Amino acid sequence: MAAAIETEHLRRRFGARLAVDDVSMTVPERAVYGFLGRNGAGKTTTLKMLLGLIRPSGGAARIHGVDIARDRMAAARKVGALLEAHGFYGNLTGAENLALTATLLGAPAREIDRVLEIVEMRADAGRKVAGYSLGMRQRLALARALLGAPPVLILDEPTNGLDPDGIADMRGFLRSLPERTGATVLLSSHLLGEIEQIATHVGVIHDGRLVLEGPLSRLKADLAPEILLRTDDDARARTLLGGRSVSPADTGLAVALRPGEDADQAAAALNQILVQAGLAVFALGAREQSLEDIYRRVAAPAYPKAEAA
Amino acid sequence: MLAMLSVELRKLNRSLAAVLALAAPSLMGAFLFFVLLRGTKPAVWSSWLQASTQIWAYFMLPMSVTALTALVAHMEHGPRAWDHLRALPVPRWRIYAAKALCVIALVLVMTGLNLLVSCAAISAAGALKPLVAPKGAPDLAHLLALNGKVVAAAVLLIAIQLWTALRFSSFVPALALGIGGTFFSVVATNAKEGVFFPWQMPVNMLAGDPARVSTALSLGCGLGLVALVLAVLHLARREVL
Ligand SMILES: Nc1ncnc2c1ncn2[C@@H]1O[C@H](COP(=O)(O)OP(=O)(O)OP(=O)(O)O)[C@@H](O)[C@H]1O
Ligand SMILES: [Mg+2]
Repeated sequence: MAAAIETEHLRRRFGARLAVDDVSMTVPERAVYGFLGRNGAGKTTTLKMLLGLIRPSGGAARIHGVDIARDRMAAARKVGALLEAHGFYGNLTGAENLALTATLLGAPAREIDRVLEIVEMRADAGRKVAGYSLGMRQRLALARALLGAPPVLILDEPTNGLDPDGIADMRGFLRSLPERTGATVLLSSHLLGEIEQIATHVGVIHDGRLVLEGPLSRLKADLAPEILLRTDDDARARTLLGGRSVSPADTGLAVALRPGEDADQAAAALNQILVQAGLAVFALGAREQSLEDIYRRVAAPAYPKAEAA
Repeated sequence: MLAMLSVELRKLNRSLAAVLALAAPSLMGAFLFFVLLRGTKPAVWSSWLQASTQIWAYFMLPMSVTALTALVAHMEHGPRAWDHLRALPVPRWRIYAAKALCVIALVLVMTGLNLLVSCAAISAAGALKPLVAPKGAPDLAHLLALNGKVVAAAVLLIAIQLWTALRFSSFVPALALGIGGTFFSVVATNAKEGVFFPWQMPVNMLAGDPARVSTALSLGCGLGLVALVLAVLHLARREVL
């Protein structure tokens, strides 16, 4: 599969801080690529470089093979974007705001109705944007990104401010988009569950570095289930299980399985070690790993308390 | 470029900038009207319209340019519209060039409105108090040419104010500059060096000395156009964070 979006050793420095550090990402055509990272991880900075809004300190980015630094216009013609700052004019109505963008894109007026229909904003399109709620603005911003049916969508936290119904609608829409139109979607989020439900591919950015990337299915398959346990002395349990990879979980500890190890067998073995050492085991069981776990694991070094626990 | 211009004009719909464009000339009209009502002899068209143009060029125009450029820039800074605009497949210089043309057009319209409103004020005052009713007819051709020169001489001032307003997302630098510039041009009215001071160039179009007129006009318009081009190029190349 060809790449819709590709970056090579992309870097961006703000003063002394490397906001994006050597990011080489590949978004295959027709993928829904979830770009995941905590606040300040570098998602927006990366996306803005893809739009030619900020200049990389190093590296390159291409959209459908077009180098953004060389030919921003050609790259921009392929992209519809939704950014953190919507930039709507409050004195104009929703439809008027879309019309401005449609004019600049050279898109026909019927495009405005089409995209308003998609985000279910037909009824409010005649109202001034100044009176819109956050969720309505977000819908309108998605509608604007869809104007002219661009082959690549770059969406920075598109579900921000949407209610659960709105999130479900957007999820369904984005997930089905590649199949219906052949478009590629790159969306950022810090909501792990969100990405897990929409994305076909995932990239995790942490402290400016792309720490994980690949098809969601493969990433999930790569990850064996883990054993969650809770005892009366987790610190001691950790020492006892020193030979294994143990990390703190929401309650108690999470123990990673060794390659090829059977979860039930492992659970029994762990139980035996702990009980023999005189610990009271309150809970113990296998759990499938989710993106949440991948994320927690790669991001764990940011939390010193993980070491202290 | 036409698309960009039409977009700029449509943005003014229901905007504060549009309100300002109407309010500033109206203030001038109201002022003239009340001053005329206190008069005791017939008004002379040309001297009143000349006075109106002078007050406009001297004070109202620089202040209006300050406010107008700040408002037009704030329409983008406020909702942080730059990201969206600059991500579109449109050459970036066009965004700024269209803004500059739009502001110059608005200043032209306001200056024309000032003339129109002044005429209306003089007629209205005369209708209300026949004693001050104006005699004869105004020399419109001369006044239009004069007002055209006033706007042409204001291009440098417009370029400076627009660049400042667009460059800084806070309105403070642009307002400080505009108010400061106008202040100095008012307190230093008689200074010879005034012809070199952008905020005083427009009012110099009414100077008696032809050398002053031509110096201020060539600097205001010639240098102004150069400044405008440089401002547009700089803003287009600049990274907006
Ligand atoms: N204009 C700027 N000047 C200085 N530092 C910046 C600027 N923009 C971003 N940064 C820094 O770069 C880092 C990455 O910021 P970025 O906005 O890309 O994060 P993000 O992943 O989008 O976060 P969030 O989830 O909060 O939106 C942060 O440390 C931020 O402080
Ligand atoms: Mg962000």
